[in-house]
Amino acid sequence: MKDKLLLDAFSALSLGVIVVDANYRITLWNAWLETHTGRAAGDTLGQDFFSVFPDLRHHRVGVALTQAISHNLPALLSQSLHRSPFPLFADPRQPGPRLSQAVTIVPLGSSERYGLIQIVDVSLAVRRESLLREQAHVLLSQSLSDGLTGVGNRRYFDVCIDKEWRASKRNNKSLSLLLVDVDYFKRYNDRYGHQQGDLCLQQVATAMRNALPRSSDLLFRYGGEEFCALLPEMRSADAVEVAEKLRASVQSLALPHANAPAGIVSVSLGVASHNQRSHTDYGQLIQAADDALYEAKHAGRNIVRASVSAWPESLTSPAHDK
Amino acid sequence: MIDEMSMSELEADSLMEIFNIGVGHAAAAMSSIVNEEVRMSVPSIRITTRSEAADELGAGLSLCGISQQYKGAYATEAILMFPERASFEIVRMMVGDLIPADELGEMEREAMCEIGNIVLNACVGTLANMFQKELEGSLPVFRVGSSEQILNPGHDNADPSVLMLRIDFSLERQQIEGYLAFILDMSALRDLREQVRLYIARLESGMAPDGL
Repeated sequence: MKDKLLLDAFSALSLGVIVVDANYRITLWNAWLETHTGRAAGDTLGQDFFSVFPDLRHHRVGVALTQAISHNLPALLSQSLHRSPFPLFADPRQPGPRLSQAVTIVPLGSSERYGLIQIVDVSLAVRRESLLREQAHVLLSQSLSDGLTGVGNRRYFDVCIDKEWRASKRNNKSLSLLLVDVDYFKRYNDRYGHQQGDLCLQQVATAMRNALPRSSDLLFRYGGEEFCALLPEMRSADAVEVAEKLRASVQSLALPHANAPAGIVSVSLGVASHNQRSHTDYGQLIQAADDALYEAKHAGRNIVRASVSAWPESLTSPAHDK
Repeated sequence: MIDEMSMSELEADSLMEIFNIGVGHAAAAMSSIVNEEVRMSVPSIRITTRSEAADELGAGLSLCGISQQYKGAYATEAILMFPERASFEIVRMMVGDLIPADELGEMEREAMCEIGNIVLNACVGTLANMFQKELEGSLPVFRVGSSEQILNPGHDNADPSVLMLRIDFSLERQQIEGYLAFILDMSALRDLREQVRLYIARLESGMAPDGL
């Protein structure tokens, strides 16, 4: 009678409960799990935990479960460090994104050891937190914008590259950086005066910002007549295309520049992409983009050059100018 | 009593070696979570009392502590402590982003709990292996406060011994100094020293040391 009551209580819980024995066989699988995995208790009871969840064997879940069973140590898995280890869905028949999970793994029993896994759905809290995070970033970007051009300032760039650099490593996605320099800008200032120079920078910044393809791509004023753009989750070949768009957008402004060889305002761009093997910190990404920009300057300006270390093809590919 | 409190250099070195193996495991676990090299080491270790440990950490400094209670062979509490400022850095590096605020949010505290859990389990596992006894541990609890509040949240009048480890934590060229305190009752302290002596004897006789 008591056992029946306990099992009913487990079934009624609004969290996932799995108990595995010392041989990692599943001995309890509650109703909440049936709802969110789409697998009935009858399917999983007696099964090896790691054959039901093969991805978790070398995951921290597997390590923590082994520690609980063989060393009697409890573990907590936070959702910030492991978003969704278990394949759990709001409705497993129409799987959308996995539920955000907070997991605890606790040893049970003394002579015969069991592991108790509790999974709590924290999707709502995570959504609230990510909203807060987004708002904080919007506020930050507003307070850290460049007074003249309205794009992010140098300090905001430092904040963003730090964040995106880490995200790219964590998610194993590439991060591209464009460094942009307005060609012969000192001569422009000398010829037209600083007020006109400011106006020129504003127009160039607006044109380039409008040429960025995605809302996640960010443009910053790096200093003086230098700009830079951060392109998260973008491979170098695509970044070179974006750089070319930016270059073309400034060219098509056709701002007169009597002291430049082509007679109009133009920009040179250096492209570098994050490559886990060749770069260890983001300083090197900036350096690589800077080297590429230097090359672009020496190749005659109004041109795009990509960093050799990140994109070897750039050695042989034709120049991107017209 | 004096003898109980002081360790010979050889004993301290041996314990340090044992704990360095433990935190090495913890660092590897964290590396695999963040996909980045995390290094941890224990550069110093000593036995002191709870009140002295609190005094040394200083009353003015705000700390964050992650603690786990253990029962079984010994009743002990293990507490991992960082300056509160450093905890912001750790979360920023481990989680990847941080909402700028004066204190850690709920999710961020939980991330710190997990980091503490990994380090404490690695160290307690090492100790349990040495004692060849099992301990039964609680889930981690997060606290922020002065060293006194972290080390003695129950305002207990007793002044037990504390095995104090300094833990150096390095991630992305950042160096963070933390402390791990094991609050030990007399029998646990005696046993610990006895086990260290046995460990040294085993080493001297050429037998392989116990790791986790």
